[in-house]
Amino acid sequence: MSKTNIIEAENLTKVYKGKVKAVDSISFSVEEGEIFGFLGPNGAGKTTTIKMLNTIASITSGKATVAGQDVTKHPAKVRDVIGVVPQELTADDELNGMENILLSARLHHVRGDDARKRASDLLKLVDLDGAAGRRVKTYSGGMRRRLQLAIGLIHTPKILFLDEPTLGLDIQTRTKMWEYMSKLNKEQGLTIFMTTHYLEEADGLCNRVAIIDHGVIKVSGSPSQLKERVGGDVLTIELTTGPDITDFLRSIPDVHDVVRTDQSYRIKLPKTEKALPAIVEGVTKKGLEIKEIAFTKPTLDEVFLEVTGKSMRDEDAGESESYIQNIITERMQ
Amino acid sequence: MLDETLALTNRALKKWVRNPFTIIPGLATSAFYLALFGNSFNPTNLVPASAGAAAKSAILSTTFGGALTYITYLTAGVICLIIVFNMSFGGIDIVLDRQLGYFNTLLTSPIPRAAIYFSGVFQNLAKAMLLAVLTFVIALIIPDGLKLTASFGILELLGAFAAFTLLGLGLSCVFTSLALLARSIDSLIAVVNFINLPLIFMSSSLFPSSSFPGWLLAISNVNPISKADEAARILIVNGNPASNGMMGTFVGDMLYLVGFVVVMAVLGYWAAARAMRPE
Repeated sequence: MSKTNIIEAENLTKVYKGKVKAVDSISFSVEEGEIFGFLGPNGAGKTTTIKMLNTIASITSGKATVAGQDVTKHPAKVRDVIGVVPQELTADDELNGMENILLSARLHHVRGDDARKRASDLLKLVDLDGAAGRRVKTYSGGMRRRLQLAIGLIHTPKILFLDEPTLGLDIQTRTKMWEYMSKLNKEQGLTIFMTTHYLEEADGLCNRVAIIDHGVIKVSGSPSQLKERVGGDVLTIELTTGPDITDFLRSIPDVHDVVRTDQSYRIKLPKTEKALPAIVEGVTKKGLEIKEIAFTKPTLDEVFLEVTGKSMRDEDAGESESYIQNIITERMQ
Repeated sequence: MLDETLALTNRALKKWVRNPFTIIPGLATSAFYLALFGNSFNPTNLVPASAGAAAKSAILSTTFGGALTYITYLTAGVICLIIVFNMSFGGIDIVLDRQLGYFNTLLTSPIPRAAIYFSGVFQNLAKAMLLAVLTFVIALIIPDGLKLTASFGILELLGAFAAFTLLGLGLSCVFTSLALLARSIDSLIAVVNFINLPLIFMSSSLFPSSSFPGWLLAISNVNPISKADEAARILIVNGNPASNGMMGTFVGDMLYLVGFVVVMAVLGYWAAARAMRPE
């Protein structure tokens, strides 16, 4: 049975002050229960898209529905079913962790014992149960991010929107955040829509991703589909000696391309696991000795490079995001 | 809507109370205003010592409504001053909430926009009124401070603070919507400074309007600060208004303040709702 689309965007466009086209006629859908990643450099239009879906940015043209509700016509109904974890660290410094989460519960009409139980469970989920009574100003940046995740979940939303959820975190905390998100998705079937410019985050966590650049979706699909698009894996075989076997390697099914450098052959193929036995067997049958064998999986950065013509890692933060980053950094300290 | 308004007001007040650096300077300001204005503007200082105590009290009785000390006259004005300044700069927290992203968190929550606006109004009002009460207490305990008449009772106290509260509520509606419209602290402060000092000096807060030139008197007469001043001063200086024929003026001032609150709440919410529309 096919899953239903919980988010649908059709020719979604956002033009700020009639001049800056932040999002340019993008269309995509997110299935119920999946983790969907919006991948792109700073200023690509990720946050603007999430703001339109969250009802806080108007739509210049096009249409978007969240949980079956039109975000422009029924914004209040959309707000009832979404959880939002913003890019900024917004928990109140002077309130403690529990107070912050209970305030959010009250604003989402979760009350009494239900609110307290849910708050305790969520603080436990993000490993903050021991720090619940401490004021947030004593929290580290990672603890604040984890608290924000818990705050965004207090009303059991149908869809959780996360805008750069691991921005500025060290790798250990980032890995923890991925664990929490993965757990919520697998155990509770929570649909997650996240933006990120960390390639490994999108690759490891998302069922599907869309790469957005300059307000335009360049490509979308599962991370493995996108990586296959750039030609799959690269297998490198180095032989001790022997004749040129380029033609032989090209004749093996699934091999896309072979480039020879001295005794080293760079073989592009969709999946190494599929063609590797045939390659090794063929080379051995020819009486040749393999000196070294290695393969690399393509990364989403290579996909990004192919669809945008530049590497995402080269992108610098835009001015406005630098400003936000400064505030975040300040709170992290 | 009420519950969300109270929840957000409670959040702001908790943050305020837990940060001693916000309350203590506020109290110190009240004491300074009373001590500094009470001495520097004191009209009895203009009367030569040789003229005697009777001449000093005569000036208070003729120009300052019969106040027993200048600070007795000044207390209502200083409380209004404290209210105006707290209202005007209270909006900074709202701008900060917007800049730090908390505001967007509220906008994506299923709460009425009116709750966001009125929580801003009430949190500033609550902070200002607490300082107003403490200013009143400081005025009572400082030397040569506030001297109440025998007919000043609990009703007069409540009446005076009702006037301050109405002024605070109306001003809070104005300044909360300005804070929601402002996109930076700098722009808010620029606008607020443009409004608050002229508003104070075009009122009878620090000096009786009877000495104003015609044009200034005309402005002062419609200035809500003057109305709150006058209403509270009638009670603080003279006690029960029924016993001194000032009930009509008092009731008129209070009705004017109620109208001011209603108009500012409607206009303020209209402006705030525009500021909270999707960007």
